[in-house]
Amino acid sequence: MMYPEPTTIWESIQYSSLGIGIAESLWAFPTIETIHVIALVTVLGTIFVMDLRLLGVASTNYPITSMSKDTLKWTWGGFVVAAITGTLLFISKTSSYMINPFFVGKMILLAIAGLNMAYFHRVTWKTVSQWDTSPVVPTSAKVAGITSLLFWVVIVFFGRAIGFTLGIYDCAMVDPTQDSFVIQMLSGIACNGNAGVPAF
Amino acid sequence: MGDFLFNITDWMRGTFLLDWAFWMQETGFSLFMVENFWNVPLAQAIHILSIAAAFGATLMLVLRINGRAGAGLTIEQVSARFVPWIRWGLLVIVISGMTMIFAEPVRNMINAVFWIKMIVLVLTVLISLRYVGSVRKAALAGGAEWTAGGCAKSTGWLIVVLWCVIMVCGRWIAYVPV
Repeated sequence: MMYPEPTTIWESIQYSSLGIGIAESLWAFPTIETIHVIALVTVLGTIFVMDLRLLGVASTNYPITSMSKDTLKWTWGGFVVAAITGTLLFISKTSSYMINPFFVGKMILLAIAGLNMAYFHRVTWKTVSQWDTSPVVPTSAKVAGITSLLFWVVIVFFGRAIGFTLGIYDCAMVDPTQDSFVIQMLSGIACNGNAGVPAF
Repeated sequence: MGDFLFNITDWMRGTFLLDWAFWMQETGFSLFMVENFWNVPLAQAIHILSIAAAFGATLMLVLRINGRAGAGLTIEQVSARFVPWIRWGLLVIVISGMTMIFAEPVRNMINAVFWIKMIVLVLTVLISLRYVGSVRKAALAGGAEWTAGGCAKSTGWLIVVLWCVIMVCGRWIAYVPV
């Protein structure tokens, strides 16, 4: 099959041999997506266990450092697999993802969830020896737990929303007089100034 | 494999399942699920979140039985913490799953992968019930020094693998030729 000459960096990625390979294959996208789902469920499942401990809702008889040791390797392992598979899915339809508000929103939420986790492990964690075995944890740890829970719930919803809205947003169809500010802003990044101009 | 699954699906088209699917499609609930664009994605998000809760809890229990987590806690303590999350998680999985079936009855009911998923799901629940029951009993009888044997350890991992098989089927319901 012939593909048009790329006009943006996103199209260059999408029309790379890897991108075309995944997009044209009958089994590649569903297979990568399946691995993505199993990986993200592992990430979420272990994060929930840790967050509920931080909130003092469950496992209060178990030290927080032990809980972190039990869950963190699974969270990271799952995350690495989810990130790799997610990148492969992204490569197969890069332009469509870049103009999709749920995809860009999900990436922003992931970044904030990551910052929340980094702050918790670098700052709040310093005093963990004082509350390790206590069922009552400091407010900063509780805030980290509830923030993580809320962000991951929304990330899952955004992830599913991407699948239902992919293709609804398209560089060739952006209308500066009708579309919302968010879509116009995204088109500025995704379409490289080609908004409203048909790609063919 | 694709041909084999398609042949099963094709055979299903001639059974009562099709009448069931059509009946489901005519219900008010089915209409409710499809008339709002966000109902199905919301149901799927709840489905995934509850799978995460139940799968994460299963993983933690299996890890404890394998001596790879929950150091210092008894099997009974770890079971008391995680088994309710598996049970309630499963309940939400089933409820959210049923709303998704009602949203697209034909795509699900006339689909070989859907029924394979249902069979593996029931099998997994039955194995899990027996497994957790017998491990808890053995651990209680064995006292603080009890450690799982090779069979108990590997059955735990089998249950984790079965969960993954269910998830594989879940995703492929959408892709299998019907």
